[in-house]
Amino acid sequence: MKTRVIIIGGFNKTKSLAKSLIKKGYRVTAINKDQDKCKALAEIEKLTVFIGDGTKPFVLKDANAYNADIAIALTEQDADNLVICELCKKKFHVKKTVALISDPKKTEFFYRMGIDSVVCAITAIANIIEQQAFLDEMATLVPIGEGRISIAEVPIAATAPVVDKKLWEINLPKEVIIGCVLRGERSMVPRGDTRILAGDILVLISSDKQEVAAIKELTGR
Amino acid sequence: MVFYDFKKRENNGYTIIVGCGRLGANLANALSDGGEKVLIIDISGDSFRKLSPSFGGLAVVGDAAEIHVLSDAEIKKASAVVAVTNNDNINILVAQIAKELFNVAHVIARLYDPERECVYHELGIDTICPAVLSAKEIDKILKIQEKEGYAV
Repeated sequence: MKTRVIIIGGFNKTKSLAKSLIKKGYRVTAINKDQDKCKALAEIEKLTVFIGDGTKPFVLKDANAYNADIAIALTEQDADNLVICELCKKKFHVKKTVALISDPKKTEFFYRMGIDSVVCAITAIANIIEQQAFLDEMATLVPIGEGRISIAEVPIAATAPVVDKKLWEINLPKEVIIGCVLRGERSMVPRGDTRILAGDILVLISSDKQEVAAIKELTGR
Repeated sequence: MVFYDFKKRENNGYTIIVGCGRLGANLANALSDGGEKVLIIDISGDSFRKLSPSFGGLAVVGDAAEIHVLSDAEIKKASAVVAVTNNDNINILVAQIAKELFNVAHVIARLYDPERECVYHELGIDTICPAVLSAKEIDKILKIQEKEGYAV
């Protein structure tokens, strides 16, 4: 059976999220209060749209929340998102609930109330901007598990101090490993005696915000 | 006044009321008249005009959905928190913050929508639903009239 996702509130975020989820083969339902926004959402192929206030139990029931696997609350109000997720969890027994919040101070409280995943837009954006501003040597950085762990792609220039060194010769922070080396078309899982060449792209897995120190060590910048 | 019972309560209580609407303001006035310490929070300063001139508590302008507003109001010392804004979801949020983060002993939330009530009852939050209360009261009045009707 297809995974059923129900998205409540939001418009632009819902639009792009719904499109991407449908593409991946999920069955997606969207609930929105605004009639015009519902009409615009209904233009997305295969998306089921319901009009109504998602914080009301009967609206969730009409949208078949009982059968949903994942509920994502994207309204602008933190209080609404809390109520939506709690209703989904307690009344409709949705397996996983995700809430967007705007006030970063409430993140911990939301987790305490039993919401499975809390996404704080402000914190997330601030993190991304910080990474973009200070770590331009990184091609991409993917935070995992609330940003505790990150996966970074680090291109090695010919001038980098680690060129022609073996992995075990590099003094990396303890919390960082090189998970993969991309060399041209090939990718390989490195061992201690793998030699790093100019033009390699290293995939770093790091925890505890150690990626900055590791990247400095690798690129010399 | 309907609220004379409050006077009999211990005088060392500290109550925080969130939302200065008709219910919030009435309750604040009554508690203050009864000699209790009261703090009332509303997002708009205009709402406080509903408080009586003799109101002896504190009135704070702020968004009670923000944790720091509540901690500034010394919610930790509160014996009761009453969430009576006109938004059910805000009331729920405030009530849950009071209960879970600050361990307030008595937390009451007013919910207009009776359907949501069942979910929050389990969490130890007392909910008051005007629609349900009114329905019960009307039912009671009708039953009394019926009985009287038979007696006559």
